[in-house]
Amino acid sequence: MNYHKNLIAAGLLAAAALMAQTAKAPYTPPKTPWGDPDLQGVWPGNMGVPMQRPLNQGARATLTDEEFAKKQDQAKKQAQADSESTAASDSRVGIGPPSYWTERGKPTRQTSLIVDPPNGRLPELTPEAVKYRKEARGGKGLPGAWSGNADSWEDLNIYYRCISRGLLGSVIPVVYNNGNQILQAPGYVVFRNEMIHESRVIPLDGRPHVNPAIKMYMGDSRGHWDGSTLVVETTNFTDKDAIGSNGAGYPGDPGYHSDQLKVTERFTRTSPTHMDYRITVDDPKTWVKPWTILIELERNDDYQILEYACHEGNYAMTDILSGARDAEAAKKISK
Amino acid sequence: MRVLLTTSTFLYISAAFLNAQTAAYRAPRLAGHPDLNGIWEAVNTANWNLQDHPASPGPLWETGAIGSVPPGRTVIEGGGPIPYKPEALAKQKANFASRRTEDPEAKCYMPGIPRANYMPYPFQIVETPKDILFVYEFASSNRLINMGKPQEAGSDTWMGTNNGRWEGETLVIDVTGLNGLAWLDRNGDFLSDKAHVVERFTRTSRDTMSYTAIIEDPSLFTKTWTISMPLYRHVEKDAQLLEFKCTEFAEELLYGKYRKGGEK
Repeated sequence: MNYHKNLIAAGLLAAAALMAQTAKAPYTPPKTPWGDPDLQGVWPGNMGVPMQRPLNQGARATLTDEEFAKKQDQAKKQAQADSESTAASDSRVGIGPPSYWTERGKPTRQTSLIVDPPNGRLPELTPEAVKYRKEARGGKGLPGAWSGNADSWEDLNIYYRCISRGLLGSVIPVVYNNGNQILQAPGYVVFRNEMIHESRVIPLDGRPHVNPAIKMYMGDSRGHWDGSTLVVETTNFTDKDAIGSNGAGYPGDPGYHSDQLKVTERFTRTSPTHMDYRITVDDPKTWVKPWTILIELERNDDYQILEYACHEGNYAMTDILSGARDAEAAKKISK
Repeated sequence: MRVLLTTSTFLYISAAFLNAQTAAYRAPRLAGHPDLNGIWEAVNTANWNLQDHPASPGPLWETGAIGSVPPGRTVIEGGGPIPYKPEALAKQKANFASRRTEDPEAKCYMPGIPRANYMPYPFQIVETPKDILFVYEFASSNRLINMGKPQEAGSDTWMGTNNGRWEGETLVIDVTGLNGLAWLDRNGDFLSDKAHVVERFTRTSRDTMSYTAIIEDPSLFTKTWTISMPLYRHVEKDAQLLEFKCTEFAEELLYGKYRKGGEK
């Protein structure tokens, strides 16, 4: 009898051990001196995963071995091309940054940043949002990609204007200056973004949000710990930036959001060098249901965050506007 | 004899310890160092003018008393004046004359060091067990203080290259690599890209901290000079920095002449 009991117990133990091996054991990060999970470090964004999944990949969240090998091969060729043209412009029209600025990112198997809905695609816009996008600014539309219409700076998006990229625009990977840094002090976590120098100071003491009358591009963030995961809820957004790369609302990006936006971020360290960064976007005025993106962050202690003095060096704004006025004057003379 | 000596030595040490306790505040500790975490702000008129100054009108009569200059006493140790060389003084005067449009504050540019610390906006010190981040409300500017091995300045920047170290109760920050474009106040006082600023932050009570900045810039000044002021901790419930992205408020000033149809 006893022998049988022991045998069963041994069998259960073996099964448990096997399960622990197959289901990845959760990583427990080190603790700060005051006992919070320690997420500190530089965690640059990684370029190369599209926001929405190509339709032909359906519900497949990861690339096949063949697709991944192809992507790695492309990355290798791109790196070679970059190294051969360090001083050349990266853009066909000759105004892009030189290729040595460019952060191409490490190829990953993720098929889209959007992981929910399961098809990796944005949910439908609400009828209200469709109407707003069409009729915004007297039918001129929202300033996304700049299309040459530059009557004033207000025709250009907030990224061109160096105001901010908004909370999501500051973390969705782009071609350069993807530096993100997490710092912690007792009762606070700071999420710092390199481009346009944002430092979001997030209190962890459970205080309420500020009054809804106070609207901010980066919103009002409150954090708490769910085990070793940092959960940050942000409200009090303006409706003046967009969701997508650089908060600019370029075509193809999720685009405009309303001031009813609520963003929930979950930062989970999965190993000494990796962190899952999940962001749920809930804006009932804009999308019919919430959606979630996943950005896999890899720690890089050698990445140096530099001062990105965007507005201070915004010669482009002067050039774009004065160029538009010169072009108008030239047209008048030729008439 | 031996016992007596030991006792008197003990008494002597105790007295010295007590003196030190009453004379100097010992800050709470974080990872063994003084804990400077908090939201701080200067309460003075240094951002209008570092030197003694009477009340005066502002650069725009249209804003009435709102835009005028509050009177204030100097924050310069020894009383000033700022020891400008003659050509630097001429530049300060020219700056003052064009302050409405040329003060980097009007343009919403990063304020530089030391000005960021005494603008009429709060800033938060985020002290971690390693490095220290200063987050300023004005223009979302910030600077990371490297508390590790000192780093040489790379490119010049608005907020400088900041190397910090602890000297007892004091955080000492050595600032180099400033770009020389920032002003020190609305009076047109300024630094060049040769400036070297040494800042000292020492907590003096639960809610106060002393701030000094030693300013060295042989290209502009005949000698080193020092500003000094208290900083106050925000004690209101749930104090937090809010967003002051002033770029939008400066666009008409900066680009208005390029607007279609001209300035508003």
